[in-house]
Formats: sequence, structure tokens, C-alpha cells
Amino acid sequence: MAVTERLQHRAEQLAAALPPLLVASERVAATIAQGVHGRRRVGLGETFWQFRRYQPGDPVRMIDWRQSAKTQAVFVRETEWEAAQSIWLWRDASPSMHYRSRKDLQDKSEHADMLVLALASLLIAAGENVALLGTGHLPTSGRMAYNRFCHAVLAEVTETEGLPAIELLPRHGHVVWVGDLLAPLDDIKARMAAYVSRGVHGHLVQVLDPAEETLPFKGRIRFQGLEGEAPTLIGRTDTVREEYAERMTTHQAGLKDLARIFGWSYAVHRTDRPPQTALLALYMALARIAGS
Amino acid sequence: MLALGPIAFASPWILLALALLPILWRILRVIPPAPRQLRFPAIRLLYDLRQQEQTPAKTPWWLILLRVILATLIILGLAHPLLNPSGRLPGSGPMVVVVDDGWAAARDWPQRQRTLADLVDRAERDQRPVFLVTTSAQTGETPARATGPLRAAEARGAAQALLPKPWGTNRKATLAAVERLPIQGSAHAMWLADGLDDPDAKALAERLQRFGSLTVIQDGPRALPRVLRPPERRAGDLVAVAERVDPSGEERRWVRALGTDGRLIAREPLVFADGENRATSRFNLPTELRNDIARLDIEDETTTGAVVLLDERWRRRPVGIVSTTGFDASQPLLDAHHYLDRALSPFSEVRRGGATDLLKRELAVLALPDVGQMAPNDRDAVDSWLKDGGVVLRFAGPLLAGGGDDLVPVRLRRGDRALGGALSWAKPLPLAQFDPGSPFHGLSVPPDVLVSRQVLAEPALDLGDKTWARLVDGTPIVTAEKRGQGWLILVHTTSNAEWSNLALSGLFVEMLQRIVGLSRGIAGSSGDAALPPLETLDAFGRRSAPPPGVLSLPRGGVDATVGPHVPPGYYGNDLARVALNMSSDLKALAPLDRLPSGVLHGAYVGAREVDLRPWLMTAALLIGLADVLIGLALRGLLPIGQGAAAAMLALAVFVAVPRAEAQSFGQTPSFSQMPRAQVQRAPTSGADAFAMSAALQNKLAFVRTGNAQLDEVSRAGLQGLAGVLVRRTSVELIEPMAVDIEADELAFFPLIYWPITPEQPLPSSQAIGRLNIYLRNGGTILFDTRDQADIPTEVGGGGPGAQRLRQLVRGLEVPPLAPVPPDHVLTKAFYLLQDFPGRFAGGTVWVERREGSSEVSPVIIGSNDWAGAWAVGPNGRPLFAVVPGGEPQREMAFRFGVNLMMYALTGNYKADQVHVPAILERLGQ
Repeated sequence: MAVTERLQHRAEQLAAALPPLLVASERVAATIAQGVHGRRRVGLGETFWQFRRYQPGDPVRMIDWRQSAKTQAVFVRETEWEAAQSIWLWRDASPSMHYRSRKDLQDKSEHADMLVLALASLLIAAGENVALLGTGHLPTSGRMAYNRFCHAVLAEVTETEGLPAIELLPRHGHVVWVGDLLAPLDDIKARMAAYVSRGVHGHLVQVLDPAEETLPFKGRIRFQGLEGEAPTLIGRTDTVREEYAERMTTHQAGLKDLARIFGWSYAVHRTDRPPQTALLALYMALARIAGS
Repeated sequence: MLALGPIAFASPWILLALALLPILWRILRVIPPAPRQLRFPAIRLLYDLRQQEQTPAKTPWWLILLRVILATLIILGLAHPLLNPSGRLPGSGPMVVVVDDGWAAARDWPQRQRTLADLVDRAERDQRPVFLVTTSAQTGETPARATGPLRAAEARGAAQALLPKPWGTNRKATLAAVERLPIQGSAHAMWLADGLDDPDAKALAERLQRFGSLTVIQDGPRALPRVLRPPERRAGDLVAVAERVDPSGEERRWVRALGTDGRLIAREPLVFADGENRATSRFNLPTELRNDIARLDIEDETTTGAVVLLDERWRRRPVGIVSTTGFDASQPLLDAHHYLDRALSPFSEVRRGGATDLLKRELAVLALPDVGQMAPNDRDAVDSWLKDGGVVLRFAGPLLAGGGDDLVPVRLRRGDRALGGALSWAKPLPLAQFDPGSPFHGLSVPPDVLVSRQVLAEPALDLGDKTWARLVDGTPIVTAEKRGQGWLILVHTTSNAEWSNLALSGLFVEMLQRIVGLSRGIAGSSGDAALPPLETLDAFGRRSAPPPGVLSLPRGGVDATVGPHVPPGYYGNDLARVALNMSSDLKALAPLDRLPSGVLHGAYVGAREVDLRPWLMTAALLIGLADVLIGLALRGLLPIGQGAAAAMLALAVFVAVPRAEAQSFGQTPSFSQMPRAQVQRAPTSGADAFAMSAALQNKLAFVRTGNAQLDEVSRAGLQGLAGVLVRRTSVELIEPMAVDIEADELAFFPLIYWPITPEQPLPSSQAIGRLNIYLRNGGTILFDTRDQADIPTEVGGGGPGAQRLRQLVRGLEVPPLAPVPPDHVLTKAFYLLQDFPGRFAGGTVWVERREGSSEVSPVIIGSNDWAGAWAVGPNGRPLFAVVPGGEPQREMAFRFGVNLMMYALTGNYKADQVHVPAILERLGQ
């Protein structure tokens, strides 16, 4: 009785601490989970996948006798492939993520957190092992793993660097980086290379505010960075808009090239779009790579 | 001074700066606006961008325009523009301002004050000192005053403090004051005249002219005030005469008659015919209404000269002549009433009739010409009226001489005395001069008034005191006695010419006037005391309390001259007041037109000079504020978009800066560095905090007894009960609360548990009052004596708790009580119960004894220590053992608690017979 009470108490505490972000990410994850199922591949697992004609060489114990008895042919039962992957998620917690250009938008960091949490929720529901990169946790699965992940994400950590630290991960692990990825391309490349050299697959999700793509400002503006960069004064911001957009496109193209070179995936998410889209794309990419 | 139409500039050379405006425009165009501050994450991509256009963003044209307007406003403001400028003052040297501040100036005093303020302003601009001379004395002072030299600010203060006086001007004294002015060299004199002439006006004007130059400001004779003279009584009407100065043109005005309380009694037209400067208006009113008139004034005249206060002298007093025989029209000269009637009617209303009939209406004097014996009821009526303050005037005659009643001031001898008859040596005697103590004192006695017959008074000690008039041989001819508050007066001769020719003389009329004057009012002030000021009029004809310095009016000083010591108004006391009117001794008005030649003339009319500088500067300040706000908005430091900046122009003028800051709160983007306004909530007071915590959710409450251990038990008990209630019923309760009946508001609790300890302090009377309110409004208190003793109904006995309870609830509205009847709702509110054990069992529980009542019993009293039974510790285990029943008894105690709470919360609907079948069915199981 006392144990149950304590547990209940903790559960309540946890529920009370559950911020709206967590709820939102759960909701986002739920919409995705309805659309995507499993690995969609034949493999080792519990879940029934398909019946197939018996072919010579198949183990006899794979034959589904009940199904075979219904028809003339002999069928074997195949189950869905259900191998657990270890996936390290990372989201940018640097000050530059705390930005929104309009009041009706959310901060970039909120979107990044939501994406990471929802993805973790999905992955854990699918039986994968998940850990937050940079915490030193080992990827684990199950409800408790999700709780731990939530705590890690929601802990007030402020990184100064917009890129994940280099960590020694096991081979064939997966990493998902969610951030604005505005660091110089060379830095990003070096960091990615460090991971790729260990055989780690990766996915880049660039979270951007619409203003960062379009630079919608006008007039004389003194721009100040969020991470202590030197300010710069631009006399007529509207005149440099195109050039800026060009630079941004170049940067994004560079990222895309990097991803292609290293065999990673790359997606852009803008904070004025619903996170479901990005999550779906990310999840599909994960499923594809994991399946390959 | 540069004049452009109605606008002039006092410092025109500053306008040259307007030439700089185009330069300013160019400069503003060239200087780029301050940059917006913007935080941006992707700043790395912005470094070293090729700036294709070297010219920076320009300040928006409308902002430049705004700033140029701002500069223009400042330049114009510095140039000191004046609307309707009055030009420079003529002459040089100081300015002598002579202000007529007599009553006549009150007619357009605000205009005069504006003119005076203008003059002072102009003197200030020319930096000339001001001498201020008033022509009327202050209250209580004699001479007119001259002050100066004054600086402009002082002069402005003095001018604003100036008020017209309710008396005339004294230009002779002014002349003397002007002579004493310490002025060397030349000066300019301004005379703000009231437009009325007097013998010294010319001399004053000439003296002022000698300073250098003189401007006389006055309005034409048409604008001079109208004067209302005190009305006369003509044939029973009030006739008021008004005067004006300018006789040309027809003018229609109204004269109002107002009562003491200010209500309008009558309003009569006043028509000045063309060529006439006098007009009359006549008030013909019933006597009662007429006597209520306290004030006559000309409508829309604002001087005290158009106001006449009325006192007793204008009242018409009705006189009743008791006439038993009827009027003998065939021989009026023989009739006893005829002479009275003729003598009284000019100043009184005369009525005739029987004494009782006459007394039915208001009456001042009742005259009884030769009545011997009055009918008893008449006599009683007259007697009581007399004692209430009436004046009864009796005349002798054959009937009275033949045998009168006792309604006479002195005892009379039977019969009469004849003087100068055929059988007498004595001659008819004239009247002696009146004694000083007599009301008739001061009337001149014509020598040809002869009395030939009279009734005689019995000699008595007080006969001399009662005698008001004598014949030359000393026999009383008029005697009087004060009875009650009234006067009984007897004239020892007839009211016709039969016994004397007194009735034919003018003295008769005057004596009757004095006698009528005795009635109600004047009689009260028959002493020689001076009349203190009661209420005075100011120059505008408004009533006010007498200002200090007002002297009393000497007795008989009705004819005193209004002056600084005696302003117009009422004098005397509430019983007898004398009106002193300014217009009564005012000389005929004449316009001030005999002025020496060379005098400049001015008028009060004309637009007032308006200084535009403060307005322009205020506008510049507002625009400057708007500019600051716009600048902030353009730099992104205000929480609005750039597009809204134009709207800020209009907004900023009207919205105060703090408001704008307040708006920014909550809208500030998260990256902005705007200092956020601190929302400070007023610290909630203790009572509020208690109410907040008590009102938001249902909770049980117990009375804090001061015994910490007991309070803890109560808390634990109620906590245990609350747990049971939450588990078993739909009642939602949170932690129980301790209440202090001395301080806390009880209205939030459906049920209060009150454990009784012998040492508990008695509640104060305020607490008792609050508890009564609580009980009256449907609250329930559960008293628990916790002593396991039955509480007897009789006084005394019972356990210590019961005894203390009796003391505690003294003063509490406890209804008659009875043990819980077997069908009471408490037995079936939730559980079916028949006894209500707590930690102990068997104690009687008392509730209100009321059959069929739909209310919850306000008090429930028991001794079973329920809280002890309910009390659970933090580990959920009961704290106390219950005796003798053990755990089943505890369960019953909880059930009682549940029933009690249900009873307190839901009332006794369970008592409804509708539920009986269901309950019976359950009982049967």
C-alpha cells in the first residue's frame, strides 16, 4: 500500500511537471504513429507480417499449418522485422535558438524540443533505444526511458556551441541533430566527419525562423547576435535581402551536400509550419536508413 | 510689437529664425535616422554584405515635417504671439490704475477684472510698475486705498483679489489717496470707472490727468446699472420704483418678489417707457403672500442696487374689527367702526365680522369698538388668541361704561366721566405728551385733540406702568397690559367722534400704526439695544454672513446710510429684523460725462488679449514627446510594428507615456530588452487572504480554543472525517481550517465544530454578534462538550464542559433545544442511525426543537467527543481508542459525521415524506 502511494505520488508529481511542450510533442507523435507502422519489412519479430508460399530451404517450423490446411499450398508465416536500433537525439540548446521574429510564432528552441521529444516518443513506442546526445546516457527503451529522456530535454541546459560535442558512439548507431545549423559549414563538416568516422548514420534537421530565410526587415538596423557575435549595422536592410537569401541558400546547399557526402539525411523545418510535417519526414528517413 | 491682423508678436525679431527652417529641413534629410536595434541569430550571414546603396535609409518625410513643425512652433512661441493684442500702454513711467469697485461695478465685474488683468499684463510686458487705487473702502475701513508700486505679479494677485463693495465709491478719499502716491515724473493713469458721476469725479479725473495722461474706461449710460428703490405701500399694494440712467428707448424688465427661503413669490413686469428713466411695478398679492416677501430685485441685474430687502415695515397686518351690529351705511359718521376703518386701511387690511370668525384667519390686531360683555365663547377665543401673541385693541363707549367684562387691562370704574358737559365746570382736556416708555413716544400731540368723555380706571399701584397715554390732568386715556405674549390695549374713549375728536385727528392714525406695529415682530425689539448684523448683501446682491468689521445698527437706525461699516442687509435678530437697503439713500444716478478734455476713452468691451505662447509651447512639447515615441518605435524599441509608427503620431499626443509603457508589458517580444513593468499586486490583507483560502473550496472548520493539543485533535478529527466524506460521498472537502471566532469571517463554512474546554476564554460581544449573524444565515455549529456527561436542560449541573458551554453561549441566539427525535433528519441524512456515538457513547445530542421547520438546526450540542473518534494520524491510523464499542463504534461515529455534514450541506429534504417509502423499504430489509 505504501509503495503504491509513493508511486502514485511520484506519478502525480511527474504529471504536474509535464509542460505543455511535452503534451504537444505527444500529440504530434500520436498523429504520426497512426500513419506509419513498424519497419514494413520481413524480419525477426513478434508481429505477423505475411504468409508466403513455402519454398524449399525454409525451416519446417516456419510453416503455418493452420493456414496451409485451408488451401492446397503450404504457407510459411513471416513476422515483421523488429530489431531495436540505438538512436542518439540531439537538439540545439544554444541561445540562438531562443528566437522568434513574430509574436504568433514559437521559439525555434520550442520547435526543436518538440521535434526531439515527439521523435523519442515515437521511437520508444516502436521499441527503439533512445538517448539524448551529450548526456552520456546509454540508449534505453521503454516508458522509463522516455521519462528520462524528457527530463534530459527539459532540463535547463544552455549550450554555448550550436553543434553537438564529439562523443564516441558505437558503430552503426544513429544520430539525429535538430538545430538551426547556422555554424560555419567547415565546423559542421568536421563535427559530422568525427561521427561518420565511427560509422554513425545521421540526420540533420535545420529549424529556422521564417525571418532567417527571408530577412523581412527594412530600413536602418543594427543587428546583434544572440551568442555574443559582433553587431553589424546595415543601412538599408531591404537592399541586402536578396544577397542574404542567396547566402542562406548557399549555406543550406552546403549542408545538403555535406549530408549527401556522408550519407546522412537533411531536412529544413520552419517554425511557421506545423512540426508534424518535419517529424514525418524525419521518421520516414529514420525508417529508411534503419531498414537499409 | 509686430501686428498681423488679430495676432501680434511681442518679440518679433525671433521670427527671423524661421529663415533657418529650410536649412533644418536639409539637415534633417541628410542625417540618417538612428538604427533600429534588432537581435538576429543568423547574423553571421550578414557580415560583410556588399552594401549596394551607400546612401543610408532616409528619415521618413513625415517625421522630418513633424520636426520642422516642432521647430516652427518653438520659434513662434519664443516670438510671444498675442491674439487680439491691446497694444502698448500710452505714456511712460509707472501705471496708476484707479478701479471703481463700488456697487455699480458689480454689474460686469468679470469683464472689469479681465480688463484689469490685461492692463497688468501689458504693464508687465512694458516692465512698468503698477499703482493700484480702489475708490471704495474695504469693509470696516474708512478711506480708499492705494497700493504700489507693485510688480506685475503682485499687481495681478491684488487685482484678482479685488471684489466690488456693496456701497458707493468715495472719490474724494480716492483723490486724497492719489495725492499721496509716491510718483516722481510722469505716469499713465487708467481709470476703470463704473460710469456714475459724483461731485468729486471731475476733480479726480483732473488730478489723474496731471500724472501725464489718463484713460477712462467706462461703458455707455445704457450699460449702467438699474436701481430699485424700496417699495411704497399704496392702497394695499407694494409699488416698487426702478430707475435707470439713460432715459432713451423702451426697456422691459421684470421685478421678482422672493420669499425668505428664496422661492419666487411673484414676478411683475417693469417697463421703462421711452424717455423715462423711472418705472414702477406693482405687486397686488394676498396679505399672507405679501407678508412672505423678503426681497425684491430686478431680474438679471447683478448689483446690490437692484435689490431691496423688506422687513416688517412693509408687511401688511390684517386688523379685524369686531362688528356685532353690522355696518350702518346710512350714518357712517356715527358708526364706531367707520373711523377705525378709515384710519387702518392705508396700511393694513381691515376685516369685519364676529370675533370667532375673524380669528379663524391670521390676524395681527383685533379691534373691539365699544363692546360691553362679550359672548362667553367669543371671549374665550379672544383670550386664548391674545395670550398666543395677539393684540386686542378695545375702545370704550357707553356699553363698556355700562358694565364691562374682565378683558380690560385695568379695572374700570362704572360709569364714565364727562368733561365739559352742560353740568360740568371742567373743560374737555387735550392729551399730554407721551412718556418715553410709551410706544407712542415721539408722536407729536396736536393741541386740538380734546377728550370730552372717558371711562376711568380704578387707581392701582401698577396703573402708571400700564398707562401709555394720559390727558393733561394725568388720567389715563390709553392703558395696556401684556397678557401672555400678546397685548391688551384699552383706549378709554370711543372710536368715533362721540366722546372725543381723537378719532378725527392724524394722531389717531399714527397711534393705530404704532399699535399695529406692536403686533408680531417689531414688539420683540422694543428695547434700545443696537441691532447686530444678521445677514448682509454683497455687491452682487447675494446674501452672505456678515463679514468681520461690520458694526451694529443703532436702535432706530433704520435710516442709517449704507457704508463700509454698515453694508446693506438685515440687522437685528431673527424675531425682529430691520432691512437696510443701499438704494434707499442713493442719490439720483447720473452718467459720468463731465470729464476734462484730453482724456482718452476706452470701453470694457472687446476681445480679450490671449497670450498664445503657453499653447504653442505645450503643442511643441507634445510633438516633441510624439517624436521621441516615434523615434523609439522606428528603432524597434516600442512593441509595435513600423507600420504603426504613423499611428503613433496621433496616439502619442493623447496617450501619456506611462500608459504606453504599460501597454508594452506583455506584448514585448521575448528577445526585446525593454524593461518590463513590474506588475505589483497589492499585498492581500490578512482578512482577504483568509477569505480567499476559505471561500474557494468547501472545508470543515473548527473553533480555535487556544488549547494547542485540543486544536490538533480537532484538526485531526475533521481531517479524518473529511477523508471519510470524500471516500464515501460526493462531498469534496479539503484540509480543515481553524477559525478564530474573534477575528475571522465565518460565512464560508457550512459547519463549524466547536469543542468546549473549561478554560476557554469567553467570546467578546463582537464575536457573539458575528456568531449570531452566522447562525441566523443558516450556519450550523456543533458544540461538543467532550465530557461524556448528559447535558441537562435545567440550568446548572452537567459536566464541566456543559457548564462552560452555558457561559460561552450566553448572548447567542440558541433556539429551544430538544434531544434528537427518532425521525430527525440527522438519523437518516445518509446513513440510518439511531444514536450518535463519538469517542464516548450514550450522550444525548440536542438539536433545535422545531416541528416542520425546513431549516437546519443552527446548533447541535453533544458530549461524545466526536473529533476524538474521527481523529486519524498521518499514517491513517486512529489516534484515540473509542469506548466502549471499539472499532464498530468508531464506524458509527464516522457515520454520524457523514450524516451531520449531509444535514448541514443539503438541509433536511430527507425529512420530506416523499422519501418515506424508500426509507421504510430499507428499514424492512
